[in-house]
Amino acid sequence: MNALSKLVAVEAKLFLREPVSLFFVFALPLGLMLVFGLPQRGAQPEAATGQHGELTFLPSIALSLTIGMLALFTLPMALGIYRERKVLRRLATTPVSPALLLVAQVVVNLVMGVAGAVVTALGVRLLLDQPAPANVPGFVLAFLLGVACLFAIGLLIAALAPSARAAQSIGPTLFFPLLFLAGAWLPRDQMPTVLARIGEYSPLGATVDTISAAWAGQTPAVSQLLVLAGTAVVGCLLATRLFRWE
Amino acid sequence: MPVIEVEHLHKRYGDKVAVDDVSFTVEQGEIFGVLGRNGAGKTTTVECVQGLRRADRGTVRVLGLDPVRDRTEVRQRVGAQLQESQLPDKLRVREALDLYRSFYRNRADIDELLADLGLAEQRDTAFHKLSGGQKQRLSVALALVGRPEIAILDELTTGLDPKGRRDTWDLVERIRDRGVTVVLVTHFMAEAERLCDRLAVIDAGRVVAIDTPSGLMSRVDGEHRVHFRPVDRLDDAVLAALPEVTSVRRDGDEVTVTGPEEVLQAVLSALAERKIRYSGLRVDQPTLDDAFVSLTGHAGAPPALDGRSS
Repeated sequence: MNALSKLVAVEAKLFLREPVSLFFVFALPLGLMLVFGLPQRGAQPEAATGQHGELTFLPSIALSLTIGMLALFTLPMALGIYRERKVLRRLATTPVSPALLLVAQVVVNLVMGVAGAVVTALGVRLLLDQPAPANVPGFVLAFLLGVACLFAIGLLIAALAPSARAAQSIGPTLFFPLLFLAGAWLPRDQMPTVLARIGEYSPLGATVDTISAAWAGQTPAVSQLLVLAGTAVVGCLLATRLFRWE
Repeated sequence: MPVIEVEHLHKRYGDKVAVDDVSFTVEQGEIFGVLGRNGAGKTTTVECVQGLRRADRGTVRVLGLDPVRDRTEVRQRVGAQLQESQLPDKLRVREALDLYRSFYRNRADIDELLADLGLAEQRDTAFHKLSGGQKQRLSVALALVGRPEIAILDELTTGLDPKGRRDTWDLVERIRDRGVTVVLVTHFMAEAERLCDRLAVIDAGRVVAIDTPSGLMSRVDGEHRVHFRPVDRLDDAVLAALPEVTSVRRDGDEVTVTGPEEVLQAVLSALAERKIRYSGLRVDQPTLDDAFVSLTGHAGAPPALDGRSS
């Protein structure tokens, strides 16, 4: 086996040995969805209004929650710890580049994100008795761009955070305002226009909207997809530029 | 045949000079010590040897290669153990070795390595459950898993208890016995004295001496001190009159006589001649510590409370 596949296998094992990450990825989104979703089980679309009234809002925000937590919590923290414990530096003394460990971390978190998404989607379908994503290509595209955008932000946090502890607090500090902007608490249709507008193009807001639209069978807004892609590219470039190895 | 050649190495960080002018060669098969206080420039020097840092001036050749330009090849053949490098908490001993092994062309047998390093029973133990000494041995194992020709061990025994330290010293000798050239970075005099075939004493970024430990010790005209308690009456003037004796002092009923290496023989003959019985005989010889002090002009390394050096 080559070094990268070995690294991915080891990182995956380590991920699965962390009950906290497993809870964030699999249990929390599903749990939230059931808590809020079960009361409106079987509700008719026309009965509800506004952002929170859309049947696809809840599963979309649950999915975004999974991606967001992987990207903003587990990824920067793992990389921060690796830097702090000189694991990256240790790797630099071997024939293998420490960049491979970063790649392995991203791959593992991505795979976990996809697995979490599948669990959530199955939960929606089976437990809440709602339709599966209707516009599948649109759904996949929105999901991938959302993942890319949020992971880029996570990598940027990992690059800039002076310590693992700092990474651990920057993630959540950023995550909750992003959740708010996405309309998790106050529906965006009830926000002041400026705030709603910002929310629409915020990383999590755009992710929720595009996933939600595709789930309902519509075409996701191109402007929102472009913002996700743009943020992903800029974030990744900055992160690679600014990443400190020690 | 030298496996490492360092010539006039100079490295600065901003306007702080970490290594001013360091030259030395390491011969194949020896244990070569790099000895100095914390902050003397030891770690920076070996980091340049490993190609982790680029020298500002001077040349570094490792196995005839440039460690920065031919980094991949050098890293295939040089194993390193870093000061304070850790592993993920839940990574198990065997998994770590298996992972690092996959990075190298020449791969050591893991079970053999584990047995050699006394880690066979810990093969399925997670990193955070290992003792300090076990972590250190694992770190050494990782440095050897690619069957290196040179092993660079940085502050190997910092933070270990005396037993762990002695076990690790045995281990270093076994590594050398396998034909691996060892570069040992340390600020412990006793460690350098016990293990190194030759060592470079580095102070403030410069090499102040390169020699064998006994060669370094013989450079200091350190005084030997003979202590004993005479049982019979003894006139101090008798000893003071001996040509080998430089001073005689009494502290309670203990007599301390100082002089060059021959002083012990002279004192014992004088006592025997006059049939003076004595007890509690003890001799202090100059140590590498004394050599270090006289070479660098300041006391040896203070115990590293924070375990860091640069």
